[in-house]
Amino acid sequence: MKKIISLLFISALGVLLLFVVASMPRMGDPESPTREHVIPRYLENAEEETNSPNVITGIILNYRGYDTSGEVTVIFCALACVLAILGREKRGRIHSYVDRSPVPASPVVKTMVRFLAPFIILFSVYTILHGEISPGGGFQGGAIVGASIIIFTTIFGLWEASRRIPQKFRVPLEGSAFIIFFIVGILGIVGGGNFLTYAWPNIANNLQPSVVLWLTIIVEIGIGLGGAMVLISILFAMMREEEAIAPTA
Amino acid sequence: MVRNIITVIFCSIGAFWFLLGTTGLLRMPDIFSRLHPSTKCDTLGACSVMVGVAVYSGSLWDILKLILIMCFLLLSSATCGHAIGRSAVRRDIAPWRKSEEEEQ
Repeated sequence: MKKIISLLFISALGVLLLFVVASMPRMGDPESPTREHVIPRYLENAEEETNSPNVITGIILNYRGYDTSGEVTVIFCALACVLAILGREKRGRIHSYVDRSPVPASPVVKTMVRFLAPFIILFSVYTILHGEISPGGGFQGGAIVGASIIIFTTIFGLWEASRRIPQKFRVPLEGSAFIIFFIVGILGIVGGGNFLTYAWPNIANNLQPSVVLWLTIIVEIGIGLGGAMVLISILFAMMREEEAIAPTA
Repeated sequence: MVRNIITVIFCSIGAFWFLLGTTGLLRMPDIFSRLHPSTKCDTLGACSVMVGVAVYSGSLWDILKLILIMCFLLLSSATCGHAIGRSAVRRDIAPWRKSEEEEQ
């Protein structure tokens, strides 16, 4: 009985979804509603208006600069909430919590993590710096750095990881995404444009393309660094909590 | 044309291995035997898809990149399987035996 009901439900859902798919505009249809309003303008003017060869980067950092700065703020707020609830790890206390796992990490895994971590970090640097002209950018690169540090921390323990990325190094960098975004935005006002216009559109017109490109890259680096540090700090705060709860052996 | 056929063959082999791996992951009785098909997916399945893509692309740089990706994939997936299996053994998880199912 149960099986029949669930089968009926699933087939009804499937038919419904197939109808929705059938009524969707075709892939690549030039007359579909999403292609009629802003997309042509982005595709035609983005490169000369934003000076970014990658249209998506241009949209995210220029046309939707406010949106992105909001996202950066949300990430920073998440860290602030985690730290408000869990508190920052205290380095002196971590020492006693080293490697409480019932299964010590195997030498194979340790060697492989040691071998692969530099490549992962190299790839993330590439993702951040190449975000201008290829898929990628600050958020993605920062997430990759965070992931590499998460792998490192789960294998080698919090003590080793927090020795390599100490707190005094993380604390100032956590807000860097937010701060750099607003510095660049205010530079736009100083240069006589609007907020987040990537500096002086009126002054130094022949200098503008490279200046805009560099400011975009700086924002990307800021987002990448800030995002990575926020992820790492959240992980460290949560791991310390976990290890403090674990029963003393 | 020949290149396309080779690509299709290799990609189909890869897809077939992914199908086998997923079926095995769902149908096998315990962690050790599940580990076996799921690691096959990553190694043989993904690598044959990549060989197919390399044949299709044909440019030297793409092939080099694909070989690099393949190396990283083989290294990390083998390590991952090793870590899961080792931790299962160390935690004294008993392997499945046929008699247990017959008793139930």
